[in-house]
Amino acid sequence: MRLLQSIKNEWQLICHDAWLKALLFWMPVILAIVIWGVFSAGIARDLPIGVVDHDNSSVSRSLIRNYNASPTLAVVNHFHSMEHANTALREGSIYALVIIPNSLEKNTLLGKAPQVTAFYNSQFILIGKLINSAMLSAHGTYVAQIETFKDLASTRGNVEQAIGEALPISSQISPLFNANTHYGQFLVTAVIPAMWQIIIIATIVLVWARPLQNTSLDVWLAHLNFNDELIKLIPYVLIFWIQGIVYLSVFYGTLQWPMHGSWLLLILAQFLLVLACTSVATLFFFITLDVTRAMSLVAGFAAPAFAFMGVTFPTTDMPLLAQLWRALLPISHYINVQIQQVNYATTFSHSAGSFVALIVFISGFYMAKLLVEKRKNSSALNETKKETVEKGCN
Amino acid sequence: MTWKRLISSEFYAIFTNIPLLVTVFGGVIIYSFLYPLPYINQTPKEQSIAVINLDDSQLSRTIERMANATPQVNIIEQVYNIDEAKALLVEGHITGFLLIPQHFYRDLLLEKSPHLLFAGNASYFLVYGTVIEGLVRSTSTLAAEVKVSRMVMRGDNIALASSQYSAIGLNLKPTFNASLGYLNYIVPAVFVLILHQTLLIALGLLTAGQYENKVKYHPVTELQSSYWLIYPVWQILLVRSLLMLIIYLMLFSFYFGYSFESYGINRLATIPDLMTLAFPFLLSVIFLGTVIGLLIPRKELATLVVLLSSLPLVFSAGFIWPTSNMPTVINVIAQFFPSTPAINGFLRLNQMGDSIDNLVQIKMQLWSLTLLYAMISGVLMHKKQHELNMIIKSS
Repeated sequence: MRLLQSIKNEWQLICHDAWLKALLFWMPVILAIVIWGVFSAGIARDLPIGVVDHDNSSVSRSLIRNYNASPTLAVVNHFHSMEHANTALREGSIYALVIIPNSLEKNTLLGKAPQVTAFYNSQFILIGKLINSAMLSAHGTYVAQIETFKDLASTRGNVEQAIGEALPISSQISPLFNANTHYGQFLVTAVIPAMWQIIIIATIVLVWARPLQNTSLDVWLAHLNFNDELIKLIPYVLIFWIQGIVYLSVFYGTLQWPMHGSWLLLILAQFLLVLACTSVATLFFFITLDVTRAMSLVAGFAAPAFAFMGVTFPTTDMPLLAQLWRALLPISHYINVQIQQVNYATTFSHSAGSFVALIVFISGFYMAKLLVEKRKNSSALNETKKETVEKGCN
Repeated sequence: MTWKRLISSEFYAIFTNIPLLVTVFGGVIIYSFLYPLPYINQTPKEQSIAVINLDDSQLSRTIERMANATPQVNIIEQVYNIDEAKALLVEGHITGFLLIPQHFYRDLLLEKSPHLLFAGNASYFLVYGTVIEGLVRSTSTLAAEVKVSRMVMRGDNIALASSQYSAIGLNLKPTFNASLGYLNYIVPAVFVLILHQTLLIALGLLTAGQYENKVKYHPVTELQSSYWLIYPVWQILLVRSLLMLIIYLMLFSFYFGYSFESYGINRLATIPDLMTLAFPFLLSVIFLGTVIGLLIPRKELATLVVLLSSLPLVFSAGFIWPTSNMPTVINVIAQFFPSTPAINGFLRLNQMGDSIDNLVQIKMQLWSLTLLYAMISGVLMHKKQHELNMIIKSS
């Protein structure tokens, strides 16, 4: 009964607070749509590259056509001077510059193995790597064609053998767990949990701070019953848990990204994450007892979390200090479970460590309670002291 | 009502605002160490992989040795089928594997172009890319050797053969970040965003702290004499923006000078060129921060709003995902935040060595944003000042 009553009370408070309503309902949706929107193409296409063709022969033109035929690349500019080409590369209007030497055709026919040089912009690593592999495969296909054609003469028309000679070893590359290397599947599924963590921690801090808008800190603390206040957090925990379940359903239901593992384990991990974040937020609030300062702590703690999650840059290559900081962030333990379930479909025993870590975070509530009690004791002590001093004076 | 008094009050307001100081000095300095921390090692190296060697010929063992010799991969395990390799992968012991099929050597001699299988864990793209790069590189060396030896067997000159194994060579050169280091990729862009976000928070805290409605808890006499309710708006904005500009020019120099230098990041731009972008960048952020501060009802919300905008701003800035592949709406909206043109501009200037003359458009955009937000903050501040003065009078 008391629980229901408190949920009802909180619900009314939420309805009257536009900011809280935003954080609980529409802001996460908008933020998620923006992030999904950025990567909605999934696979980068038609990245602009430029060419300087010193040869202008049929071989050079068909080589350029081959580059352009790659779905990743689009030859948007034929430069006549190196100066213009360099400027375009520096200003980022093209991501790569291909330079075809003169007498390319002549040297190819003479078997002199001419070299084509391509400068690609590696400042933007992700884009640079896409260009690199697209160029290699477009070039490789074209060269294999030429060589097979040449070899056809020596193998007297045996196509299979001609290919075998042009490509002595062929290879098949298989990206496991993300078969079409879809960037949405890769990044969006990690960025949204990172934002979710920020939203949970920040909102809970605001919830704790709400009474302080019209009561002074000491009065509020004096009447504070910590356990009762914790019950008030239940509706928020439930709403955040639902947020998590909703984004999972959109990824692996609506968008139909592959999900191989157990929904139950994943949703359980989400529940623990919400509790862990709530606990961290509670601790932050009671350390500072000031909403602005608590919010600064939230910013320092949660804003760089994405870099430490180990999705873009592998955890194993981080220095020890970074790995320690990573362990302090609830979301990095959750993301382990998410990747394990979604991609590998492992059993519970593989994720047990991450579950334990998430549960450890819940001790933040207890620490916050100790802080409250300490604070109460010291103020009670001060008051008794005051009283004795006053009595003494009398 | 003198300039001198305004400047000293403004100075006092900034340097007694603890949360502001924590964000500006604490935030900027702590982030300058914390943010690059995961990327200190620049590139993932020596990824552990397994080998499934079903051929067991001398050549297949050479392939293993060549793969092991690359800096990208390190063979730690020999397994006998794909399922075993997958189990190791799921447990996180390995990040990829190489499969050499049965009769690989025989098929190679028969010129049947045998297949090698490279697999990497694409749950982590950078790891996947590293594993595949290592495997492809080592086997292409082998393929070239095979070709050369065949040409020699056919009677070609070895010197000629070793330069002619491919009809047309491709020489791919990474430019601007030759080592493909991740630190060089993330830090120059994210540092611009850190300056952007902390400056927004600072102005938001300062402005919202002054212009929130405090009549309920504060004596009217105290509020009446507040300098931000007395001085003309344009004077307050002018003094405030110049003071914050000076503080942030110092922090900007710390990032673009000391931090970049100590992390070994490119610094191709000259100081005057950097400054011509830094001025409109910082000023536009200062006025945008003031606008935010005037729109929010309580000061702690400044941190919240800015915090929530961080990840969308990073990913829509165009240095991670190409703008041409983004929905136009997102790209257009992102242009209204100074971070988008600034990240782009500073990367071009400092990392890619573009000349300042080519950045006219970005410079114009930043100055336009400065003007736009200066006007909006002027209007809003004037309105707030008027409202608060009315409330104070009536109470």
